[in-house]
Amino acid sequence: MALNADRVGTVYPAFVYEVSREKIREYATAVGESDPRYFADDDEMVAPPTFAACFSIGNALRTVLDDPQLGAHPRLVHGSQSFTYGDRPMRPGDVLRCEPSIVSITPRGDNEFLVIALEATFVSDETLAARAESTIVFLGSANGSDAG
Amino acid sequence: MTAITVGTEIPPVSDTATLARLVQYAGASGDLNPLHFDTEFAAAVSPTGGLIAHGMLSMGLVSRAVTAFAGGPEHVCELTVRFVRPWPVDTVATFGGKVTEIADGIAALALWGDLEDGSRMLRGSATIRL
Repeated sequence: MALNADRVGTVYPAFVYEVSREKIREYATAVGESDPRYFADDDEMVAPPTFAACFSIGNALRTVLDDPQLGAHPRLVHGSQSFTYGDRPMRPGDVLRCEPSIVSITPRGDNEFLVIALEATFVSDETLAARAESTIVFLGSANGSDAG
Repeated sequence: MTAITVGTEIPPVSDTATLARLVQYAGASGDLNPLHFDTEFAAAVSPTGGLIAHGMLSMGLVSRAVTAFAGGPEHVCELTVRFVRPWPVDTVATFGGKVTEIADGIAALALWGDLEDGSRMLRGSATIRL
């Protein structure tokens, strides 16, 4: 069954994500980083840019997929991703306010393209930490296709 | 950082999408789509019929190349990638890019990721602060 296009424009309740030292280390290790600043014990520590995956895909995407009115199904792949960053990198102890929303749902052939935006701001000064836009491709569920 | 000009290539990064790597990435990122570690699920759903790497793992690797070239995360303004082909488990992919434009202290980069047979699996762009 096709996704519910009426959900386009939905802004989900913001959640709080706290950047932690161990999570930065874990993420940096998983992508094979070697910059010592991603592993530091002190104020030198910063997060790699794509650490934003942890809250944009890890948390925000799950929030959207769990929306019972969206009608998401598990036959999906990631189509594209973009991140725009603010003036400084994320650091351990940063608290982010993260607000996911649905930008668009577009059928293309048998598939549907769901575009999700996530705005993450530093709670301390309300400046941008990262803006994420994720395109998720739902396979075979467009109206008129056989599958889904 | 050495002087960079339009056409400067960024040092590439390669990695193998072992199942252990995919499980480690799933845990670290919270991206728990079973397509990346559950063989039966992947057989039913995957575009390749088997396990494939997270798109975000490939983005993490191309970002590693960009960020090292830029001199750290404070120099990275924007990253955009499109996952044009799946990255099958247990294969190697290589990521790189080159400078396409420099203006007002900002360099634009074109990014790529290739599978071991030479086919392009990722295309993207970045802007970095010089």
